[in-house]
Amino acid sequence: MEQEKTEVLKGTLDMLILKVVAFGPIHGYAISQRMQQISRDFFQVPEGSLYPALYRLEDRGLLQAKWEETETGREAKFYSLTRAGRKRLSAEMVNWERMSEAVALILRTVE
Amino acid sequence: MSWLRRLFHKRLTEKRLDTELRFHLEQRVRDFVASGMDPEEARRRAYLAFGGLEQVKQDCREARIENHIQDFLRDLQYALRSLAKDRRFALIAIFALALGIGATTAMFSVIYNVVFDPFPYRDFQRSIVFEMRDLASTGDKGEGLRDHYTIPEFLAIREQNHVFEDIVGNYQLDVLYADGKGTRRFLGGYTTSNGFDFLGVPPILGRVFSPQDVKQGAPLVFMMNYRLWQTEFNGDPKILGKTFFLNGKPRTLVGIMPQRFNGYGSSLWFPLGLHPGADGTSFPVRDPNVIWALARLKRGVSLQAAANDLDAIMHRLAQANPGGLYPQRFGVVTRTLLDFVVGDFKSTLYALLAAVFLLLLIACSNVGNLLLARATVREREIAVRASLGASRGRLIRQLLVESFALAAAACVAGCLFAYFGLKGLVAIIPRGPIPEETVIGLNPVVLLFALAIAVLTTLICGLAPALHAVRGNLQLGMTNSGKGAGGGFRHGKLRASLVIAEVALSIVLLTGAGLLMRSFFTLTHVDLGFNPERLLYTRIVPAVDDRYDTAVKKKLFFEQILQRVKAVPGVINATVSLSMPPLGGAGSYITVPGKTHTERWESMVDLCSEGYFQTLGLQLLRGRLLSETDVDSARHVAVVNQVFARAYFASEEPLGQKIKFDVFDELPETPHNAYFEVVGVVTDFRNRGLVEPPAREAFLPHSITGFGHRVILAKAAVDANALRASVQREIWAVDSNAAVADSRSVKDLLAEEAYTQPQFGLITIGAFAGIGLALVLIGIFSVMAYTVALQTHEIGVRMALGAQRGNVLKMVLGKGLRLISAGILIGVLASLGLTRFLEGQLSGVSATDPLTFFAVVTLFLAVGLLASLLPARRAAGIDPLLALRYE
Repeated sequence: MEQEKTEVLKGTLDMLILKVVAFGPIHGYAISQRMQQISRDFFQVPEGSLYPALYRLEDRGLLQAKWEETETGREAKFYSLTRAGRKRLSAEMVNWERMSEAVALILRTVE
Repeated sequence: MSWLRRLFHKRLTEKRLDTELRFHLEQRVRDFVASGMDPEEARRRAYLAFGGLEQVKQDCREARIENHIQDFLRDLQYALRSLAKDRRFALIAIFALALGIGATTAMFSVIYNVVFDPFPYRDFQRSIVFEMRDLASTGDKGEGLRDHYTIPEFLAIREQNHVFEDIVGNYQLDVLYADGKGTRRFLGGYTTSNGFDFLGVPPILGRVFSPQDVKQGAPLVFMMNYRLWQTEFNGDPKILGKTFFLNGKPRTLVGIMPQRFNGYGSSLWFPLGLHPGADGTSFPVRDPNVIWALARLKRGVSLQAAANDLDAIMHRLAQANPGGLYPQRFGVVTRTLLDFVVGDFKSTLYALLAAVFLLLLIACSNVGNLLLARATVREREIAVRASLGASRGRLIRQLLVESFALAAAACVAGCLFAYFGLKGLVAIIPRGPIPEETVIGLNPVVLLFALAIAVLTTLICGLAPALHAVRGNLQLGMTNSGKGAGGGFRHGKLRASLVIAEVALSIVLLTGAGLLMRSFFTLTHVDLGFNPERLLYTRIVPAVDDRYDTAVKKKLFFEQILQRVKAVPGVINATVSLSMPPLGGAGSYITVPGKTHTERWESMVDLCSEGYFQTLGLQLLRGRLLSETDVDSARHVAVVNQVFARAYFASEEPLGQKIKFDVFDELPETPHNAYFEVVGVVTDFRNRGLVEPPAREAFLPHSITGFGHRVILAKAAVDANALRASVQREIWAVDSNAAVADSRSVKDLLAEEAYTQPQFGLITIGAFAGIGLALVLIGIFSVMAYTVALQTHEIGVRMALGAQRGNVLKMVLGKGLRLISAGILIGVLASLGLTRFLEGQLSGVSATDPLTFFAVVTLFLAVGLLASLLPARRAAGIDPLLALRYE
């Protein structure tokens, strides 16, 4: 089951990260926690995938990062969306909706 | 933070990455502890969930672009170090590649400048010319084509077409200018007043023509090109606004065009008004189809659509005015201006580009081969790196970076080669087919092309060796001694096929060069049928007024000149003529009484004096030559050449036959409806250039007509060009208002008109083939030497077991020969298929000329043997004791 979950993740991880970051500046650990919470424990993002993805998104100018203090007074890297990131997110969401509708249609078809 | 900044703040970046990941871990530990886990256990679980910290860090680094750059720089550094260690290899490889890249770049810049960017004119891609084609005619060599129009035709096209944005009419004429010392002749042109706005090039001084200039009663004006301004007037800007007497009328200079402008091919331009009686609109011929048209298509109109539109207009005209101007069935053909100017030369250039690509491929296989040899030696090094954790992709990248370093160095050196090579090319390039306004040189587009070639080269010559090097079990390389027989064997096949490919490519190049060489030799040694040695021609433009417009006046004028020229010391013989050989006279349809035939009979006509046949060295075959009396009393007699007699009077006596030349009926000052009696037959000579066989021709006394220009041909006892000044003096002594249009030795005429283009092709492809051959020589030598080095052990064993030196020599030579023979076989087969693309460039030799193929193969066997001989001798000199002890 664990294996299947990761499979689902691969193509959509970037979009999910963008969506989570869209709520406001957030650090890496919180992103993984938030994703797990919202998906009711369905997605457990391995750190080995999360951080390279964050770095990639930052590198492509979809995310921007800032070093700030957390509530506990520690230095952490907070990510937020850039304008390009916001654009990409809405584009991906439209795409995703279309695709999932299409997939649903096919699955629903009676033979 | 931009990647550039991160590149320079690497320590900080690394620290931040570490901080971020540790923060994550600590948060997780804290959460675990908060849920009641033992701190030690929490830490263990957190780290476990995280996976390898270093691995995650590496993945993060790789997600960033600057790290790739850093890796690349590190690879480059490594590559440079390892190339510096093997300097001889690096230099040979760079040199070979630079030759290939340089030659390709030079050739490409010629093509780019000539074919893609030749004109400085506005929208020249949409500029077209058009011609009427007689559908009954074969259409080759310009037969049955008409690209000049009468004024009514031009006006009809201008008014009625639906396809042109603008159209310019133009015709050229001789312009005589008396500067006090004598009369000079320049090539001038009448151009409709929109002609200069059409091309969109501003003048460097003054103004261009405007519609005002062709209004009734407007003052006469003219414009001048840059070259004339410089050569005749030393670039003096004060001449603007001055009045000059040109063709006997005063004209004011209103504008001077810049250097890079050669519109309508003239030195001087007059504005052309097309209303009846306007300046420049009266012509001495009945069908004054003299206007050449240049038009610009509306956007989106195709050449074919334009042709259809013009076709309809011309057919309407033909219906309204039936007669000589329009053939029974004709069509209109459109061509772009570029095609019109560059024409067939494009195919020469493309053939050369193909040749230069072959050369580049040879260079690439050569370097590929060298890289392979190196990879074999480095097998051990590669294996070590692989076992230390370098991935296959990483190793391939490393090897590719190395070939890129070579290619980049070669690219720089190649651009230098191209720069100097281009100077050479420009010096020998024929000016005829290249637009005069074309500037050939290196420019950003060309340099970009060179860079692209360098990248391509990297891939071509680096990829195969790189893939080969990391193929198979990398660990195996460690256990091998690195120079063992096994390693050599594995790479042997690829290397051999590279050599075979090189030989084959080079054979194709050499065959092409050989064919061009044979063709050029045939061309320069063609039997002209006349003797061009020490023959001077002088084209004379008599004064433009009506001084010489009758047959009698013209005859007197030229006979006077002829007598004086004959008296010049060093002149053996001289004659009047209509044309200068090997270009013949005018063409005409002919009528022979009592003959019935379906097709129209035609012949060329030359007008000459009695000395013509001796001056050219033609032999009399039957009857007699033209006599002094024939010329003096303008008798209607003709001497014909052999092909004429054979074609029209095959089985009968040609002497005494009567011929009418139909063209005379249409010209003023010529005997209309006149029949000429054949009095003699002379040997043929080339009268349609060097390539075409002699055409039917008749020679008539020049005194029968006052129409047309005349040439004086003089046979000299000395260098013909040395007589030019004296001949000019004699002409001015007769009439200082007459001008010399053109005067040169016939040898120079041949060299310039007939030889330059094939010579250019020959020299260029010859140079490419020579470079290619040298590269192949290096290639064969290096592979054979390498094979021998690898087989030292094996040869040692053989010799220890009793093999003689002779056997070893034979073995190595045999191997070399096998490689070369395979290459030759493939190359010859490929050439047989490819040389037919050269057919258009060849004359007098077939594209599969056996002699050329034989010579190329022989040359190659010799070169191949030579290249294998040295390594073979080294092999034969191996001391078995030493060879075995080394292992």
